[in-house]
Amino acid sequence: MSLVMIGLEIHAQVTALKSKLFCSCRGNYRDFKPNTNICATCSGLPGTLPVINRKAIEYSAMISIALGCKVPNKVMFYRKNYFYPDLPKNFQITQYNVYGFSSIGVEGIFELDDLKKIRISRIQLEEDPGRIAYVDSGMNVTNSALIDYNRAGVALIEIVTEPEFTNPKEVRLFLNKLSLTLQHLGVCDTLLEGSVRCDANVSLKGGNKVEIKNINSFKEVEKAINYEITRQSSMYNRNIKVEFETRHWDDRKKITFKARSKEEEHDYRYFPEPDIPVIVLGDGFVSNIKDLMPELPLQRFNRFVSKYKLSEHTSNILINDKKLADFFESILKIHFSPVEIANFLITDFKSLIEDDVENIDYLTNMKVKPEHIGELVKMIEENKISRITAKDILIKIFDSGKLPSEIANSTNSFKISDEKILIDAVESVFNTEKSAVEDAQTNHEAINFLLGKVMKFTKGRADPKIAMRLINTRLNKAGT
Amino acid sequence: MISKVDLAHLAQISKIDLSEEEIEKFPMQLERTIEYIDVLEELSSDDSIDLDLQEIKFDQLRDDLIKNADGERISKNLTEDGYLKGPKMK
Amino acid sequence: MSNLYDLLASEVVDGIKEGLFTTEEYVCSVIKRIEDVESKLHSFISLDSEGAVSSAKLIDRKLREKEKIGPLCGIIVGIKDNISTKNIKTTCASKMLEDYIPPYDATVVRHMKENGAIIMGKLNLDEFGMGSTTEYSRYGPTHNPWNLDYVPGGSSGGCGAAVASGECTVSLGSDTGGSIRCPASFCSVVGLKPTYGKVSRYGLISYANSLEQIGPICRSVKDIVMIMNVISGKDMNDNTTIPSSSITINGKTKKLNVAILKELIDSCDGSVKKTIYSTAEKFKEIGCEYSEISIKNLNYALPSYYTLASAEASSNLSRYDNIRYGFDLPIDDYKWEQYFSTVRKNFGEEVKRRILIGSYVLSSGYYSKYYLKARRLRSLLRLELLTLFKQYDLFIGPTMPILPFKFGEKIDDPIKMYLVDINTVIANLASIPAVSLPVGFSNGLPIGLQMMAAPFEEQKLIDASYALENTINIRRRPNLT
Repeated sequence: MSLVMIGLEIHAQVTALKSKLFCSCRGNYRDFKPNTNICATCSGLPGTLPVINRKAIEYSAMISIALGCKVPNKVMFYRKNYFYPDLPKNFQITQYNVYGFSSIGVEGIFELDDLKKIRISRIQLEEDPGRIAYVDSGMNVTNSALIDYNRAGVALIEIVTEPEFTNPKEVRLFLNKLSLTLQHLGVCDTLLEGSVRCDANVSLKGGNKVEIKNINSFKEVEKAINYEITRQSSMYNRNIKVEFETRHWDDRKKITFKARSKEEEHDYRYFPEPDIPVIVLGDGFVSNIKDLMPELPLQRFNRFVSKYKLSEHTSNILINDKKLADFFESILKIHFSPVEIANFLITDFKSLIEDDVENIDYLTNMKVKPEHIGELVKMIEENKISRITAKDILIKIFDSGKLPSEIANSTNSFKISDEKILIDAVESVFNTEKSAVEDAQTNHEAINFLLGKVMKFTKGRADPKIAMRLINTRLNKAGT
Repeated sequence: MISKVDLAHLAQISKIDLSEEEIEKFPMQLERTIEYIDVLEELSSDDSIDLDLQEIKFDQLRDDLIKNADGERISKNLTEDGYLKGPKMK
Repeated sequence: MSNLYDLLASEVVDGIKEGLFTTEEYVCSVIKRIEDVESKLHSFISLDSEGAVSSAKLIDRKLREKEKIGPLCGIIVGIKDNISTKNIKTTCASKMLEDYIPPYDATVVRHMKENGAIIMGKLNLDEFGMGSTTEYSRYGPTHNPWNLDYVPGGSSGGCGAAVASGECTVSLGSDTGGSIRCPASFCSVVGLKPTYGKVSRYGLISYANSLEQIGPICRSVKDIVMIMNVISGKDMNDNTTIPSSSITINGKTKKLNVAILKELIDSCDGSVKKTIYSTAEKFKEIGCEYSEISIKNLNYALPSYYTLASAEASSNLSRYDNIRYGFDLPIDDYKWEQYFSTVRKNFGEEVKRRILIGSYVLSSGYYSKYYLKARRLRSLLRLELLTLFKQYDLFIGPTMPILPFKFGEKIDDPIKMYLVDINTVIANLASIPAVSLPVGFSNGLPIGLQMMAAPFEEQKLIDASYALENTINIRRRPNLT
């Protein structure tokens, strides 16, 4: 078997910021007409200066701490010099650690599972470039590019790992855990279109490293790496040397292809950004940030198990879907019955969502609110409705947003515990199911059949315990 | 010594086309400038010398607020749908 | 009997407020002066006489209606053409920005306007501030008002010439390695480069960000104080600004400890040396002691300056790719890299040389050899000076090592040209304030005294300058008829 080494460079936009990294334009550039979310600074007009956003430092420090990085006492920005039409100043303000540590996070450790840890070499804060729109013009070669600076200057964090992944599955696990961590911090919405990008470097058997660029979603990363491993293995098998090179991922054809050689000749001429002084974070900085930090997935898992007495399995399902876990906890504020609610959510509730997984943001847009689930579970617990009825009611809530009690009333869904009504129901079942009644005298199994018939007769509303007692009483009467 | 090849490389990373005249004249002129700044080599390369960079305290940084910058927009080279027209990429 | 255009800023403000003349009358007198001398001097790149007249009329109307106008009421300011002015073309004397009209005002311009100053136009400079003579302006050089065959100094040559000849009351220049003080010295006016961080750079089109400051060029020390108090202060648009106290004109000077920098005086021209020494004697008249001291790290100052300035410039000037602003060159049929390179060959030769040198000293393998060492020298030099400032209040010496020279004398030899900055770059490297004060003439050509003080000790520079100005009293008009 070939020994595979994979390292990642992940870019994620700090989507929780209101404004851009160095100016006061909107951080959320989506849904704007081209070049309308820009100012003199982010479009690189002469004479403008970067004015750094304090929250961006705070959020990127949170990410660094969450990924086990050290946060230096002073952070600095550098200029990375290269020309490209999407870069308004033809340099990017970023961070750099060659002449001493100065990026927001360094030397981190991230636990994949009990056995495997991945070292994070650095986390840096930088500005996103603008975008170039490629217009397909069919047969004609376009004679110009269309540039949109709305995104230019949005705060971006770059997370660089050591090349310590040995297979694509580990990479997937890492990216899932990373997304979850970022979601819990509430600073990067990795599900937003274009908010994450990933580069991967892959080498086999200590051979040359191949850099794969332009992977535009976490989902594609595993595919790109698999492709690259296969490509490199077959080269080894044919005794062809793997070159040190940069390749691009084509997510339509699902292949990597060699970048033009010129792109590799970059000499970025880094030097300290003169317009941004060294930022002194101060002594209490890290502990202040830790106080501000929301709970991380592992802490939350431990709390769910210890405080709510949920099983590890149940806790995991909830926590792996941050919004579902949040939803769960807001239901608890209305009706504190953690085990029941958790079970209801991961079985009945999730079974209704599952078909619609594409709709990732279902929890924000749906009509079902914590109040609904709280009341519904309470009704089950108080024996007012059956579990089956509860699911039917839930479907109706999805459509109408009405309260469960209201739906139960209007559809006559409450359990029937009135003995008079139930005696009538039992009586009518005994009249129609004579042979079963006879069987039941000797065969205990047949009693369940009779109960089923009573439930059916009452459209599932009969309180099964009472109905069972009444059936037994009636049987005894018939036997004598 | 700055050769014409070095000069071509510098011109390439700086994205400047040089004229015939400049290609003849610049190597010598740049070489003299570099010789002049080469005296810096005499200086100690002691890493412990603080670079004495200007500092700013974290809490003095800008708040995360949105401000619309109307009228500070670019107006040159815009297409009808608002894109900026740049040279072709391929 | 002096002409209105000859008045100092303080005299203009008083004259208008006392009703001796209207703002409009003053502005028209200056416009007339420009019409008379501008063809000889070429101080301006763009003139906005109409705008100036209508601003003047507005001020007069407000005064009639008893509205309050700021402390610069009615004075006329010329702005170096690398400082952004909303709706007025800002070219940096470069082809690359020949059509560029900024959509915003630099912070200093906004402050000047808000305090009652009137913008007359944009003043000539060496392209992007790179030069010491204005010969590197795309629009042709400015001439020295004291002798039209001579350079006015640079890069703020237009500022020096315009102020000296009465084409504006005051001007705002920028100083990266001496660009305010050099023309102040060559044109016999006062120029101040403030402490780094005292004045906002927002809107100043960067040449070398870590070294440069905007500052005033005026005909008197009092005018310098008036302008400084309006333009300095913390600016939320510039993270490198630091709040600082205002400065005043004190009648009395405290006893100052003055040191002549030996290296600077030893290496200068004989006539300059003589004038500087006789000025040093005047310090005794105003009650100050002086002695001569030597600075260890001075040999490396200029190489260090050119390394850092070129490095920063090469990056700052990357943005000129002609896509968002620039001159007319259709993009069609160019591949982007080709287009960028074709466009960027339109920088002037000196700018190109500095971009190439800057790329060289930053490129991999050379960074620690040049950039890092230059940065360390900067730090060592600052440290050495700060230590000396515990003992001395002011360092003095000639602003320029030579007298103004003729056009073309140094233009073909970059190193010769760089060497004229040797005295001025010290203050930029050390981030300290420095002033150039006119102190005499030799063969009809001006000589300036440079004084440097510890960071944010502008007050000491002003105290000494004001006292010397009154003692020396060389205020003369260049003869331009």
